Amino acid sequence: MTVWSPNDDGFADLTSHDTFVQGAPHNTFARLRREDPVHWTDWDQGQGFWSITRHADITEMNRQPDVFSSARGIRMEDQTYEEYLARRTFQETDPPEHMQTRVKVARAFSKPVIAEYEQDIRDLCDEILDQALEAREFDATKAIARQLPMRMLGRILGTPEADLPWLVEKGDALIANTDPDFTDHVLDKMDTDAFRMMPFNSPAGAELYQYAKELMEHKARTGDTNGILNLILNPGRDGGVISETEFRNFFCLLVAAGNDTTRYSIAAGIQAMCHQPELLGQMQAGGDVWETAADEIIRWATPALYFRRTATQDVEVHGKTIRAGDKVLYWFASANRDETVFDDPFRVDLARSPNKHLSFGQGGPHICLGMWLARLEVRVLFEELSKRLTSIEPAGPHEFLRSNFVGGIKALPVRVTPA
Amino acid sequence: MKVTWKLPDGSEISADVAEGLSMMEAAVAQNVPGVVGECGGNLSCATCHVQVAEPWAARVGGPDDFEDAMLDTVEAARGPGSRLSCQIRASADLDGLVLIVPEA
Ligand code: HEM
Ligand code: FES
Repeated sequence: MTVWSPNDDGFADLTSHDTFVQGAPHNTFARLRREDPVHWTDWDQGQGFWSITRHADITEMNRQPDVFSSARGIRMEDQTYEEYLARRTFQETDPPEHMQTRVKVARAFSKPVIAEYEQDIRDLCDEILDQALEAREFDATKAIARQLPMRMLGRILGTPEADLPWLVEKGDALIANTDPDFTDHVLDKMDTDAFRMMPFNSPAGAELYQYAKELMEHKARTGDTNGILNLILNPGRDGGVISETEFRNFFCLLVAAGNDTTRYSIAAGIQAMCHQPELLGQMQAGGDVWETAADEIIRWATPALYFRRTATQDVEVHGKTIRAGDKVLYWFASANRDETVFDDPFRVDLARSPNKHLSFGQGGPHICLGMWLARLEVRVLFEELSKRLTSIEPAGPHEFLRSNFVGGIKALPVRVTPA
Repeated sequence: MKVTWKLPDGSEISADVAEGLSMMEAAVAQNVPGVVGECGGNLSCATCHVQVAEPWAARVGGPDDFEDAMLDTVEAARGPGSRLSCQIRASADLDGLVLIVPEA
């Protein structure tokens, strides 16, 4: 069954970043869901790992952080205990420790607090789209998708506009550290030993640490209270303030997690508009479709292809024994195309409801902190974009990132007719 | 045990809930609108907010510190009986429990 990726014979190498330059290997995922839902992969660059590909299994396992821990690394790559200590964020802790940080940052990113940014986001969309649509042909990832999350990140961090391109460049180097377009230190292609203790194995991580430190000092000195982050720096109800180390780790995490994921959701949505021209009309008809559209676009995109856990005890799942210490990958990219959960999973249906996608890691304690912000940015961007268009079509083939971790369209040439 | 959810539009949903299940899991199983439970009961999403109706509030008890902090992030206004329903487990002594789903 060829569903999406024409070059995927159903036996793609999940350890190879090159596999993903054609997009996620959906024929392989479909076969694994059907035949081998708890699949072992040997790996020549580290310990092998289990791949979980069914929606129901990921949901069941993700809610048990005591059995499947985040505290030994959340990517495929092995990580020593020293490395973990040197660069972990609260994303790499388990409850109850995880909750101690999560409750400190939760309010700043909660739905009601984020909702107050809708007008700001709309104003940014106005600026970005007015500028992008001056051209009839352009790269939509660069001109649109990259812009909005970057500019919003500035609002969150309370950083000067002028610093934003630098910050985004560093964030990209952290996350897309396997694509030569985004880093000089391609993770699997050179000896990154010197960077082992740095956040995300990358000198960009060290630079961001330094930036965060200076930002925090500057804010304290000048009494600058700009940005959502300020909510976190201020004493909470219990008088607790986030520590400097916590702040720096959190800052890096935001730059890394809050940027390219939203970018690639927007890019995937624009790509969908190109390939399903009826979407533009549905968006323009408006109304209830905006209650559901953002989640469907984010399901379609699935920018976080997987996150990893490590088993803390021997467990049997579908007849396979996962041993204590084994790495377990939750492939959200597969779960979001699971035909037992989604009708016609390879079609974008803006009215899809319910839409129990797992793009945000739903079902577990690490569920995306930024999901309300991401949903709001995606909705407002497409509301504003669709208003301004008569048509949009591909102006050439699109290109995916070289990464088995972040799924994203890094180049998206489009041709538009403005309204 | 029997549980009733009162919805903002005035309608009600009632169900028998097996001992040990959380009120979030029960609500999701019954498709109670407004109770989403996106973090699987891990106290990280606050999308399972309900208000415990009188006279049940005392018997159900109040939130612990983490839940209390997460209740400050809910979409609908927080009220005196507010709880995150993934933290309330079905048990025989709560038979007849009434939960109010607040308007978002
Ligand atoms: C569409 C856009 C986004 C997607 C698809 C996405 C995806 C994810 C996923 C899958 C996780 C869970 C990781 C795990 O289970 O280990 C996560 C966690 C996280 N995300 Fe997002 N994210 C997005 C946008 C954002 C934004 C805009 C921010 C912040 C500004 C953000 C900040 C975070 C943080 C801090 C965590 C860690 C939460 C924790 O460990 O408790 N994300 N995200
Ligand atoms: S289900 Fe997420 S807090 Fe209750």
